[in-house]
Amino acid sequence: VSDLAVRSADTEPTELYIAFKVADVEYALPASVVRQLESFTGATTVPGAPDFVAGIIQIRGRVVPVVDLRVRFGLPAAPADETADRRVVVGENGDRAVALLVDVAREVLKIAPSQLRAPPRILDEGRAGFVRALAHLGPRVVMVLDFQRVLGEELVDVG
Amino acid sequence: LSIDLKEFLAAYLAEVDENVTTANARLLAIDASIQASQRNPRAVRDLFRALHTIKGLSAMVEVDPVVAIAHDMEAAVRAADRAGGDLPASSVEPLLDGLRAIEARLQAVAAGHEAAPAPKELLERLEELALGEADRPAAPRVGEIALDPAIASKLAPFEIAQLRDAPSVGARAVRLDFAPSPERSAGGSTIGTVRERVGAVAEIVKVVPVSAPVSAERPGGLSFALMLVTRADDATLAAAAGVDVAAVTRIDAAPMVAREDDDAAQPHSLLPEALPDDGPVARRSVLRVEVARVDDAMDKVAALIVTRARLARIVAALAERGVDTRELVAALSDNARQLRDLRASMLRVRMVAVAEAFERLPLLVRGLCRATGKSARLEIDAGNAEIDKAVAERLLPAIVHLLRNAVDHGIESPDERVRRGKPAVGAVRIACVSRSNRQITITISDDGRGIDPAAVARKVGRDVAQSTSALLDALCEPGLSTRDRVTETSGRGMGMDIVKRVAVDQLGGELALETTYGVGTVFTLRVPLTIAIVDAFTVQCAAHRFVVPVSHVDEIVDVASATLLPTPGGARRGGLIAGLLERRGEAIPFVPLAAALAFDARSSRSVHALVVRRGADAVAFGLDRVVGQQEAVVRPLLDPLVQVPGVAGSTDLGDGRATLVLDLASLCATLARERAA
Repeated sequence: VSDLAVRSADTEPTELYIAFKVADVEYALPASVVRQLESFTGATTVPGAPDFVAGIIQIRGRVVPVVDLRVRFGLPAAPADETADRRVVVGENGDRAVALLVDVAREVLKIAPSQLRAPPRILDEGRAGFVRALAHLGPRVVMVLDFQRVLGEELVDVG
Repeated sequence: LSIDLKEFLAAYLAEVDENVTTANARLLAIDASIQASQRNPRAVRDLFRALHTIKGLSAMVEVDPVVAIAHDMEAAVRAADRAGGDLPASSVEPLLDGLRAIEARLQAVAAGHEAAPAPKELLERLEELALGEADRPAAPRVGEIALDPAIASKLAPFEIAQLRDAPSVGARAVRLDFAPSPERSAGGSTIGTVRERVGAVAEIVKVVPVSAPVSAERPGGLSFALMLVTRADDATLAAAAGVDVAAVTRIDAAPMVAREDDDAAQPHSLLPEALPDDGPVARRSVLRVEVARVDDAMDKVAALIVTRARLARIVAALAERGVDTRELVAALSDNARQLRDLRASMLRVRMVAVAEAFERLPLLVRGLCRATGKSARLEIDAGNAEIDKAVAERLLPAIVHLLRNAVDHGIESPDERVRRGKPAVGAVRIACVSRSNRQITITISDDGRGIDPAAVARKVGRDVAQSTSALLDALCEPGLSTRDRVTETSGRGMGMDIVKRVAVDQLGGELALETTYGVGTVFTLRVPLTIAIVDAFTVQCAAHRFVVPVSHVDEIVDVASATLLPTPGGARRGGLIAGLLERRGEAIPFVPLAAALAFDARSSRSVHALVVRRGADAVAFGLDRVVGQQEAVVRPLLDPLVQVPGVAGSTDLGDGRATLVLDLASLCATLARERAA
């Protein structure tokens, strides 16, 4: 946890975030929507599902779809030597539980509202619409994701 | 076996099973009575009847080993019945063994095997019991009773014994005479109302009709002698029956010492257990149906639901073209509601009372106590909760395991319990609550020693769990046993992982733990009330494994030995169709499953083909091979991201991973529609 984040906790109410990396870029989701973190040991392919859906996995008795964030963000597939340590961040949105496939996830951040900025418009197209805000934590910049958009609520409306 | 005999066997097994269950329950009740130094003549009589029925039914279908065992058991119990329900304590064990031997043979028959011959040693033990019983002098008598011979002849030995033994339970045996008359019935007093009112203050052993000359007192020439065991006094009884005190006669010999604390007007149940066949529930008409038939009907309901969805799509398409579909839409929405109701009704058919599903568990706990030298009582509080039979069947092994753990690991030895200031007899409790119409919560609790997180940590080789959920995770490690030595009951390596496997992975439920070291443990299982189970083929296709409901498959074809014709018009017109498979003069479109599922077709070589029909359409799906056949619990894929045509849901084949359940019937229909378009 960065010094700045901890320092700001003294002066302002903060919210907990789960931070993770996808292709060396840092992202975060509010801890309130994250149900759990698990290591990723492969998913069952679901033919006919959108390409960014890596398949389904069973987590504690629940069958949840896995959204591969690299594919979702239009990035190249993870190099084979980096796939060993991949993890899933299981998020909840109402009744839905969806796992996000990320490269590394092992940090909890405290972020104060004053540290959040609106995302710049020039953000590359692959991630457009998925980023809710940028968190400036000293030298670090973390992209706070909009979980609902990542799940593709817009797809559901059309379908 | 011919189909007829198979069906007959199923009926036989169902009926015998019911009688074995009754016999088990009664034998346990008798055992409980013996422990309390009481007799239970009614239970002995029921046990006798159940054994007699088992013998008769088994003789009809020629399951001779069961006939032999039941015969010897019946002989042993007959003597006890004649002795007024006095079954010696030493008989309980051999009789329980006998029932277990019968059950084992019934299971073999159910699995299509020959029943093993009756164990000689068991038959000898049972025969000894019967001989011992015959030599035994008549049951020691508490006292004699004064009975009119005409009435005595109408009473069974156990009923006479019940009357005779009344003083031994602090009651009196009484005869109350009631003669129906027009005036009495005008005043609302008939034999029916008298039974009811007298039944509230006395145990009615028997009502014997007595014919007598017509007189002013007996205008119908008929009266009833109510043979009662009661703690109420004569005046109370007479008032309840609406008769003169003179109509009440005491028939037992021993004078009863009046006790101050006895509230005479209070109803007393003198039978040590409530017999289920006394209640109104048993009189409800019940139909026994094989589960397969219900499932078949359920499949058809599912097909209706699929068709309705198609209708809705067609209507939507019409509306888009400007057709007025308001009435159609209204009818469709009625139809949807009716289908939902129909589905709910079908699901209710499969529901069984939890109390009934758990009926055998007290027997299990009794056996566990005997094997471990522990002393524990199982209390089941299932209320009116109901559960899908399929869920109950899957859940039972998990509950059995939790009970084993409770008795073997939880409950302390009687000495230790006393030292710790606990009652010597441990309490194990199962409680069921269903708060919604989707889930049932089952708790299994014991007042034993609780789980020691440090001991678990040592076993697993991890840090001591800081929370109960972490402790539960550690307990569910495969192969964990918190005992060093292998025990007869819990064995070793049969860990909590099995409980978790069933409750969480298979049924999609939850498992939780609360434990206080030294005080006790509570496991909470939350499982769905219903699940969908299909008999399914596991198949391999392009390095993926799938499950296909057997009911969707018409035929499995060995592709190499079948004739594959080229598609008329070439591959271009055929789309996914790779040829025509000839089956008995019919040309069935052949579609490699890999192609239909948009997998890389090169990674799959069609060895087998599954022929699937949907109405007039048939498709032969080619796949790598059919791996096997098993039952699968289907869980629908609810998330919109993975709701795709051709996939009915997901299942766990026991490897903890999700395996897709394919709906080839709908895939077949989709392909047929695409071809037509």
